[in-house]
Amino acid sequence: MSTVAAVSLAACLAIGPAATAFAAPVVAEASPSASESADAKTLRIATAGFVDTFNPFISIYLTPTNIIRYVYESLVQNDAEDGSPTEGLAEKWEASPDGMTWTFTLHEGMKWSDDEPITSADVKYTYESMMNDPMLGTANGNLVANFESVETPDDLTVVINLKTPQAPNPGTEIPVLPEHIWSEVDDPTTFTNDADVVGSGPYTLESYSANQSITLKANPNFWRGAPKIDGIQYIYYTNSDAQIQALRAGEVDLVTGLTDTQMTALEGEEGITTHAGTGRRFTSLSVNAGAETPEGVAYGTGSPALKEPAVREAIRLGIDQESLLKNVLGGYGAPATSFIPIAFEKWHLPDDDEAIVSFDPDAAMAKLDDAGWVAGADGIREKDGNRLSIRLLADAEDIVEMSASEYLVPWMADIGVELKLETTDSDTISDRTAVSDYDMYFSGWSVNPDPDYQLGINLCSSRPDAEGNGATSQDGYCNPEFDALYAEQHSELDEAKRAEIVHDMLRMHYEDVAQITLWYGQSLEAYRSDRFTGFTTQPADNGIIANQAGYWGYYTVEPVVDEASSAAEQSGPGAALWIGLGVLVVAAGVVAIVIVRRRKTAGDRE
Amino acid sequence: MTDTITPVNAEVHDEKLAEASPTRSSFLSYFGTKLGGALISLVMVVLLGFFAFRVLPGDPVRRIAQERPMSPEQIAELRRQYGLDKPVTQQFLDYLVNIFSGNLGESYVYRTPVSELIGQYLGPTLLLTGTSAIIAIALGLWLGQRAAWRSGSLFDKIATGTSLTLWSVPTFWLALILLMIFGGTLRWFPTGGMVSPGVEPGTFDYVVDVARHMVLPVVTMVAVVFAQYLMVMRASLLEEKSSDYLTTARAKGLRDDLVRRRHAVPNALLPTVTLVFMHIGGLVAGAVTVETVFSWPGLGKLTYEAISGPDMPLLQGTFVVFSTIIIVMNLIADLIYRQLDPRVRRA
Repeated sequence: MSTVAAVSLAACLAIGPAATAFAAPVVAEASPSASESADAKTLRIATAGFVDTFNPFISIYLTPTNIIRYVYESLVQNDAEDGSPTEGLAEKWEASPDGMTWTFTLHEGMKWSDDEPITSADVKYTYESMMNDPMLGTANGNLVANFESVETPDDLTVVINLKTPQAPNPGTEIPVLPEHIWSEVDDPTTFTNDADVVGSGPYTLESYSANQSITLKANPNFWRGAPKIDGIQYIYYTNSDAQIQALRAGEVDLVTGLTDTQMTALEGEEGITTHAGTGRRFTSLSVNAGAETPEGVAYGTGSPALKEPAVREAIRLGIDQESLLKNVLGGYGAPATSFIPIAFEKWHLPDDDEAIVSFDPDAAMAKLDDAGWVAGADGIREKDGNRLSIRLLADAEDIVEMSASEYLVPWMADIGVELKLETTDSDTISDRTAVSDYDMYFSGWSVNPDPDYQLGINLCSSRPDAEGNGATSQDGYCNPEFDALYAEQHSELDEAKRAEIVHDMLRMHYEDVAQITLWYGQSLEAYRSDRFTGFTTQPADNGIIANQAGYWGYYTVEPVVDEASSAAEQSGPGAALWIGLGVLVVAAGVVAIVIVRRRKTAGDRE
Repeated sequence: MTDTITPVNAEVHDEKLAEASPTRSSFLSYFGTKLGGALISLVMVVLLGFFAFRVLPGDPVRRIAQERPMSPEQIAELRRQYGLDKPVTQQFLDYLVNIFSGNLGESYVYRTPVSELIGQYLGPTLLLTGTSAIIAIALGLWLGQRAAWRSGSLFDKIATGTSLTLWSVPTFWLALILLMIFGGTLRWFPTGGMVSPGVEPGTFDYVVDVARHMVLPVVTMVAVVFAQYLMVMRASLLEEKSSDYLTTARAKGLRDDLVRRRHAVPNALLPTVTLVFMHIGGLVAGAVTVETVFSWPGLGKLTYEAISGPDMPLLQGTFVVFSTIIIVMNLIADLIYRQLDPRVRRA
């Protein structure tokens, strides 16, 4: 048969039911459907995130923990400007000169969303629950690990006594829970906390329908004042392309985590604004400079060549970061120095620091020459009969890693290093890197406003054992001088002095080349600017809307109230659609019934 | 062949044709053999369900710890909660004891019993695949018999060509194209989910809303699978067409149309009944792709999320449930086939 006929019938069949539905002239803009007549004051966000639980003691996945930020205020909040500590439940705080005791004073007259007063007893209850029951410390146990005791001299005062001096504010990042609700719960470790939640943040959790939607409503009692919108709805889309289509169709108002291609595709769409925000993530190449257990026992299969600082430095000099940024990220990112992203300017190692080097293949080759690596017949260097061959693990499903690898391999060949690309899946990478079975791999972290944790996982004592169990390490780095500086910054209460020490640490880490930080990727987001405006980013200067270390993103947002807001609604299908659909369903039913009847009566027919 | 279809096991048919005796005892032995085979398959599935997912790479706790500030104490606590601190033999024994008491374990991610999760997600999957199956069967059988009766005609060529073309189209691709055109651009149908947030269950609006959400996924599934029903019906009727009894019927003076409807089609329908049962299992499993693209909250999507997790107890659970559905459906197909077609029994 003719291909044309086949294809055209295929098309007819594929759109047949839809065509039936619209065979009748569409009765223009009849009543819009439930989903299209979106409430002008409800922000709808597309999500694909896992939800383990909304119990703040236990919840560890990104989506619920982000939502919990909106539902429960902490003692101290990360501000929108640059993530520094700012007022939360506490209006002021003071550390004792030795850094051992922190005293917080709460705002007067704060109320939970159910109108009960918020007092220091709630803070004490929350912290002590986490300190006393390891199960309740599942999510944030590390934040109270240094707490000796919590005292409440009066309703507005909280005193935290620490085991060791601490510069990072101990009141951040811990959601404070209402004692009058949680102390009534039979077993707080299994409480799901997913409906009619009583909270203290700008929104409270109203309902949760697994894999369908999460609904938040504005909290009129929020101490900074109620938000300007009624609520937020997270709607589930498993597929990221479906999320883009939902935004285009006006079914959701905000989509995050776009790829650069998706971003480009959405640019110029009417009513949609794309936003590339400075995120809090870094992407790096982790370099195996010889893994050792905390006891100093070497393990793993790391290339001996990478133990030579000159080789690691040469590899960094041979990588053109600017070119990767432009070609792999489509320009959506910033050049990186070390593992504290530029979003946290105070701590970030500046680009003009004397330690920072830029792309220089000649210098790279000179370093390798000096170290005694001589080019062999095929251009790959050798020393003492060993080829300078390095394995690079990459996730075959990660477009960014795959495309970056395509640049890295020839660049390395240019300086006489053979880069063997080993592509596999992320689970295998995770398993292999845990036991140090790698030379280099793509890595990255989302960093919190206070650098203490990220610095802490670069200590000698943070290295896991040979099976990958125990502590968490960023790259298996160990340098006693770095450790000494860590202890110093950890108890330095003068922020300017502390920042200087942090810079020294980052410089040391950079010069030791435990990792090659490739870039700080931007977070790509898009929203219906014909419906909402006034998102506050973090950092305030072109930061991110979603996934902040705070609740600013959706707190200040307000509806756009003009004729444009109806643009997303007017194209909703009309009554004709329902009639058409009804016809379709009835027709299918009739066909089925006829077939069944024929079969039943087949025997009677002669 | 696309991913929503399980291949028909040709051997099964041969085997059935080989078995042949109308007596009661032979039926029992036939039934016994089939049931025994199904039970052995089930046991294999249960064992595989444990071991296959143990050899897979990926440690859920490590994966979580990689992206979160966590102390070694917290990581150890998570291992304890997940039961990963026990030796593998102990984990296996727990798994066996649990599975025979209907307990499929607790999901790492959702922190709920797996059986409860599967119960929640089974309904939407049955709604979606059930509707798709009914439409695909009706459309396929109807087109198939028309095509066969006038084999070689333009209608036959178009119907067969179209169905085979759609059959060879990747489901994922077709689903995305439909989603982009009818969801994103034309905005006729929702781009995902089963129901709009805020629509009250049990109301008329709810029914309408779910129906709207069903259109694109159902069209996708139907488009991809109706070919198999069409082809079997067509082949089956072509075989009947030359039979003597049709000549007799015609000789009685019956109109051609009546000969087709009353004599040929009912007989040609028999082999397709088996096929239907064999494919229902496959259809449920095949929902993974369609549910993932259209964010349909069913078992397929649950499986996809279990893989992304990775959520071992949930993967085990969905694997065991899917496999059981397929095994049971195949068993029913085997038994029905023999009961339905007297020619097979007496041959």
